[in-house]
Amino acid sequence: MSGCYGKLLRVDLTAGTCKIEALNDKWAKEFIGGRGLASKYLAEEVAADIDALSPKNKLIMATGPLTGTYGAANGRYMVVTKSPLTGTIASSNSGGYFPCELRYAGFSMIIFEGKAEHPCYLQIYNDRVELVGAVHLWGKPTQETEDAILAEFHGDAKVACIGPAGENQVLFANIMNDKHRASGRSGVGAVMGSKNLKAVAVRGTGGVKVAKPAAFRETAIETYGMLKENPVSGEGLPALGTPVLVNVINQFGALPTRNFQEDTFAGAEAISGEALAATYLKRNKGCMGCVIGCGRVTSLSGARFSGSGEGPEYETLWSLGATCGVDDLAAITKANYICNEYGMDTITAGATVACAMELYEKGLINEAEIGMSLNFGDADAMVKLVEMAAKKEGFGAKIALGSYRLAESYGAPELSMTVKKQEFPAYDGRGMQGMALNYATSNRGACHVRGYLVSPEILGLPEKIDPQATDGKATWAKIFQDFTAVVDSVGVCLFTTFALGVPQFAKFYSAATGVELTDEGLLEAGDRIYNLERVFNLAAGIDPSQDTLPKRLLEDPISDGPLKGEVAKLDQMLPEYYEQRGWSVKGIPSKKKLQELGLA
Amino acid sequence: MIRIQFYSLLRLLLKEEKLDLPACTDENIEQLLQRVQKHFSTPFLHKLLDDQGGLHAGTIIMVNRRNILHLESLETPVRDGDLIAFFPPGAGG
Repeated sequence: MSGCYGKLLRVDLTAGTCKIEALNDKWAKEFIGGRGLASKYLAEEVAADIDALSPKNKLIMATGPLTGTYGAANGRYMVVTKSPLTGTIASSNSGGYFPCELRYAGFSMIIFEGKAEHPCYLQIYNDRVELVGAVHLWGKPTQETEDAILAEFHGDAKVACIGPAGENQVLFANIMNDKHRASGRSGVGAVMGSKNLKAVAVRGTGGVKVAKPAAFRETAIETYGMLKENPVSGEGLPALGTPVLVNVINQFGALPTRNFQEDTFAGAEAISGEALAATYLKRNKGCMGCVIGCGRVTSLSGARFSGSGEGPEYETLWSLGATCGVDDLAAITKANYICNEYGMDTITAGATVACAMELYEKGLINEAEIGMSLNFGDADAMVKLVEMAAKKEGFGAKIALGSYRLAESYGAPELSMTVKKQEFPAYDGRGMQGMALNYATSNRGACHVRGYLVSPEILGLPEKIDPQATDGKATWAKIFQDFTAVVDSVGVCLFTTFALGVPQFAKFYSAATGVELTDEGLLEAGDRIYNLERVFNLAAGIDPSQDTLPKRLLEDPISDGPLKGEVAKLDQMLPEYYEQRGWSVKGIPSKKKLQELGLA
Repeated sequence: MIRIQFYSLLRLLLKEEKLDLPACTDENIEQLLQRVQKHFSTPFLHKLLDDQGGLHAGTIIMVNRRNILHLESLETPVRDGDLIAFFPPGAGG
């Protein structure tokens, strides 16, 4: 592979040892890197049925072959483990500078095993690696942790760490890197906390080699132009970022409101990207080498709330906003900061508060138990409960379990808006049938970035398709899921796909690795990764009956707006999807399919 | 009256959130766009339309919250009382 990959760093936290190994070359060819390669290692080394928070689980940080190169938006990495929230395989993506620095130190991947006796963190300076004590950092929020590490280790180091939520094993704790970026979903931070691992700090002074420099340079120039000229990546995302979608999805009538009881939010304008740009937005910001720069640098200086940081993004404006019935942008921004400082997924945090609000509305929990009233629209209660969840303080300990376990504990699991116990993001699948199918079949539970069919169904990219049609959606879902698996594995930002397609990724991959791969070959690698994850989940006991949606989406029609009357027509799409995947009618990958992909 | 809403880059460019115009008989979206442009000294149609006057991939124009691509595209009729929303190409996640 011409040295375009780095080494594998294996850290045994129980023994306190670090070992540098070569990456498995055959697996790298088959599974690319990042999400795919890390999933292969996890599947080979971890029994799928273990307790995700036990020392038997492993936590893998993995870059792709393009991470840290000068190609398009390559500052990405993936955290792979077994999720404590869903019980599925988890892969949680983040961008920034930390992923590139890992490559510059010479590593493509770190595997953490076991559990440290006391809190510790990993220091990497090129090939010098050492586990050091972190008792003095335990309990600190993420930004303070990073500052302390930079002061005591190296001022130019890049840091990924957990906050108090990860230490407390909040089931949706995240891992923050570069202070403001998050491997957000599926509770990867709780796994890190269960291992007494507070942080990873890395300083690298090397570079990243590519196999065919001339071809790589040519592709980099071509794609730079495509990204700059594309109206989404070149202009829309830099100017307004992801929050631009609040008004789009609300106008369309699929912005879930008050825990999916409605789909048009009267307060959408107040929490929109346009409102953010007019109030708390200071500037945009990119990950390393990114020409898009979608990040939102914001600050609050009001009497009620103050602080500074990055975000909120679209998903957060929805989760801490519309689905809680909250139209207070300052409160949402503050709760977003709290999530980042304590290290929690904003989507599940907000969606779980929304679920609690509906439990309260229906009289299933009362004020005495919560310690306050919890009406939809109560911004102060939302902010307070988010912080209580991070600390597992009082009723916050129940929020810390996510909405499924919360609702189930009150005998109303149907009020949890989840698939495989992970909360939906900010698009109602009743309004876009392809997304409904993607949610049901995502390998990490409800998720928008496993197959973003919002793009063709709503945004008209790369072409507009009818969101309410079911015909053909199985094909769209499979292609998007497979392509996304590729993007997540090469180490490139998913947002580049608004401008770049499979051919550009095939060119980049071939130039970086020296392995010629056709467009079809690249998508086949995505298919292989998707099936690998599926096989892990089946072994973990996540049977195909969980390829479904909450009753509210399947049976209760949208109650308002232009999509009034719509439900998710999953039964019209799922059989075809299974067939296209080469799975049995019951959703089990066939032996023939697995053999074709080299998985059996 | 036709109620027009500007979103995203259009709002930043035009510094206006909305515009009300009297309805015209037999007007469609393409004609309405030309009429709206006359109200502003800042050119904005290029944010929504390509050089041939077609919609950019990703442009969203809604009539009463329905995307014109699922109606009659730029020939979608505009009637008195309609709510029109203009979104230049945008995306998120």
